[in-house]
Amino acid sequence: MSNVEEFPLTGRVLTEYEALITSAPTALDAIPGAVYVCDHEGWLVGYNAEAAELWGRQPSLSAPRERFCGSQRLFLSDGSPMDHQECPMAEAIKTGVSTRNAEVIIERPDGSRIFALVNIRPLRDHRGVIQGAINCFQDISQQKRIEAEVNCKSKDLEDFFENSAIGLHIVSAAGIILRANKAELELLGYPADEYVGRHIAEFHADAPVIGDILDRLSCGEKLDRYPARLRARDGSIKHVLITSNSRFEDGKFVNTRCFTTDITSLHETENAWRETEERLAATYQAATIGIAESDADGRLLRVNDAFCTMLGRSREQLLNMTFLDYTHEDDRDEEARCYARQVSGETDTYAIRKRAVKADGTVIYLDVYSSTVRDRTGRFRYGVRVLLDVTEAKRMDDRRRESEQHMRDLLEALPAAVYTTDAEGRITFFNKAAVEMAGRTPQIGDKWCVTWRLYRPDGTYLPHDQCPMAVTLKEDRPVRGEQAVAERPDGTRVPFIPYPTPLHDVAGKLVGAVNMLVDISDREKAAEYAERLASIVRFSDDAIVSKDTQGIIQTWNKGAERLFGYSAEEVIGKPINILIPPDRQGEEPGILERIRRDEHIDHYETVRIRKDGSLIDVSLTVSPLKDALGRVVGASKIARDITERRRSEEHRKLLVNELNHRVKNTLATVQSLAAQTFRGVNASEDFGRFQSRLVALARAHDVLTRESWQGADLGEVLHATINPICVEPQQRVQASGPPLRLRPKMALALSMAFHELCTNAAKYGALTNDGGLIKVNWHVSNIESVSHLHLQWEEIGGPSVMVPARTGFGTRLLERALARELGGKVDLVFAPSGVRFHIEAPLT
Amino acid sequence: MTERRLRVLVVEDESMIAMLIEDTLCELGHEVAATASRMQEALDIARKGQFDIAIIDVNLDGEPSYPVADILAERNVPFIFATGYGSKGLDTRYSNIPLLTKPFLDSELEAVLVQISKEV
Repeated sequence: MSNVEEFPLTGRVLTEYEALITSAPTALDAIPGAVYVCDHEGWLVGYNAEAAELWGRQPSLSAPRERFCGSQRLFLSDGSPMDHQECPMAEAIKTGVSTRNAEVIIERPDGSRIFALVNIRPLRDHRGVIQGAINCFQDISQQKRIEAEVNCKSKDLEDFFENSAIGLHIVSAAGIILRANKAELELLGYPADEYVGRHIAEFHADAPVIGDILDRLSCGEKLDRYPARLRARDGSIKHVLITSNSRFEDGKFVNTRCFTTDITSLHETENAWRETEERLAATYQAATIGIAESDADGRLLRVNDAFCTMLGRSREQLLNMTFLDYTHEDDRDEEARCYARQVSGETDTYAIRKRAVKADGTVIYLDVYSSTVRDRTGRFRYGVRVLLDVTEAKRMDDRRRESEQHMRDLLEALPAAVYTTDAEGRITFFNKAAVEMAGRTPQIGDKWCVTWRLYRPDGTYLPHDQCPMAVTLKEDRPVRGEQAVAERPDGTRVPFIPYPTPLHDVAGKLVGAVNMLVDISDREKAAEYAERLASIVRFSDDAIVSKDTQGIIQTWNKGAERLFGYSAEEVIGKPINILIPPDRQGEEPGILERIRRDEHIDHYETVRIRKDGSLIDVSLTVSPLKDALGRVVGASKIARDITERRRSEEHRKLLVNELNHRVKNTLATVQSLAAQTFRGVNASEDFGRFQSRLVALARAHDVLTRESWQGADLGEVLHATINPICVEPQQRVQASGPPLRLRPKMALALSMAFHELCTNAAKYGALTNDGGLIKVNWHVSNIESVSHLHLQWEEIGGPSVMVPARTGFGTRLLERALARELGGKVDLVFAPSGVRFHIEAPLT
Repeated sequence: MTERRLRVLVVEDESMIAMLIEDTLCELGHEVAATASRMQEALDIARKGQFDIAIIDVNLDGEPSYPVADILAERNVPFIFATGYGSKGLDTRYSNIPLLTKPFLDSELEAVLVQISKEV
């Protein structure tokens, strides 16, 4: 080393560096603390023993030399690694900067670390040139550890202060709040800036209290759970207990630390409890129910006023008796048994309704609730008896039971199925009709419905818990307008309408429901029948119309649309007159009048007018319509088109007429032929007779034709035959007999007979003089239950009659042909007084 | 017997019956002015013919002879309906016209002629 060679230079003042280097190595050891020196290039040139100890090694001063520091490794105080080139010593040598009290961490070869406090100063020569630097360092690991501990503790304290569950504040000697923790601020609801810095007294509800607190604290007194009331930000009062002591320094009061414990809720509870206690005591006395305590023998230990009043005895009297003493003898044993069980511990409580006798002898009903108070060992201490006077209630109850019974009797008698349930739907009552309808006897306690099975009207299954009764109970409302079908166990089904109605007690609470099931099988049948009827009316070919008593059209079927040409919309509400032709308007008032009199009009043939103005022949059947009370409210009118019938009727008449015309023309032709035949031989008398017979036959035909060949009246046939022959028939012929219809064959035969008799009378008999008479009598009799005609022709007052010499056509016709024709008996007598003719023949 | 000789129009489609009527009229002393057996013929004579009264068959070969009657009524010539129908077969308009129902007696024809000739 060149500079070492310069050491012998004498007479020159040594620089610090030179002095340090040249001094004996022990000189460095003499310096307290660890010391080492580096030259101007940073090479380690000297160190003392303490430095070696802190380093944990002895670095070599000769090759291989070390630079800047003798430690194994270096770290910054925050633990990050530091290269030797950048350590403070390197800084000092390169830049000449001193380092004071820098902290570094030295790692020893054994891995242990120490905190070192480093002080470095550069060493300069007289000209100021850096010759090296000296580093003095101390082990401050111990201090560091303590410092860390202190740090940690103070953080804990701070944390404790800040996060303590208990309110905590610090107040200065002047009473100003210096600090307050979260709990304290939360308790009172203030933000820190509204609390800290203010005088503590501002937050106390009671000035004397805070005054006393501050006084005590300033005297050095400690406060332990001192009750106070603080005012919270929201105005509420917080009950707190303050625990506090003061800090004195040098005998001087510095500040006070206060713990604030919130006991507001505790306070409230306590108050509430106290109130309850008081209230209970008050209640005990003032209660309207009787309360008493009794010992194991039933002797009364304590009774309240109500108890005394209830039993009509004084407290003194009662406290000298057992409760059995005033119990009615009939109930005494039972109560004694119950109480004995309670005393023995078999039961804790019992309730009983019993009769008690008041001092004045009146009997009252009491509901007794007896309970037990036991000591900790479970031994009976006393019984508590709560008494309720239910005399009135019982009376009401009895009355209610009675009225309930009445109600049940009434329901039982109802012809409709009725049942009741409680609020849960359990059946409590059902009547006989319900059993009949359900086809089963429901069990008390069955739910919702008495029926076996239910179906909806559309046939789908209806579970009982969805039935209308269930709806009523679940929704607390009556259900109306529903329909259901009940199936009986035998499979028959009954459609019905239910009327479930909720039942409420006096307070309006649902207590159950009553349901009435109305069997509508009949109604359904009626509806079905009505539907069928309506369908018949709808599709009837006949026009079916109804009108009210004023003649206003109410209904109008398809038949009516077809017959009259009006649609239902067009005519309903219009007067029926629109169907009546102008010349027949007079008919309607008569029809209406008859309908109002409840008359029925059958097959009234008339003419009506169509919408298009054409006329139609109709046969009307009009019946009165009545309401449920039987009052006539209108008429139903069936109109049948008889145009066709009438036409065929006319056609038939035309044919008959035509036939008649032909027959008559034929007869007239025969007459003409005869006339031509006989005219020549001058046999006018015979021709006359022939002609007369022919005409008589034609006249009988006429009579029959008028009756459409259905038959002819005997009297009419007689006159039609006689009149053309007899000049004054009214005077000369006396006919008497009942009206009698003859069948056509008989009419013709009799007509011919009358003609022969009459012409004979005109020629030889009663009609030949002025005084002769013909008497014709007839009557009907039953011979072997067959109607027979008896007819007598008798001539009187005529010339005397002689029996004709020969049997002519007339006689033959009367005696033979007629008898044969009619199957009867004929008797012709030519008596001198006049001709008598009798015939007896069956009418059918 | 009628008091005077009547000139009679006979309207009848059946010739045998027409003959009977004609003969009877003659026997009763009247005169047959004309006989028509067809509608058109009857109408023509009814309009133009000269006669006192007419006997008209209601049915002329299936056709009512009312048009003939109407012409006569218009000309104020009295007439009689001859019919096989009886009074019911007649239109109600002619209910007051005398009827001769076929077959008929001479006396019956004479009676209606007496009745009608009074109106002439």
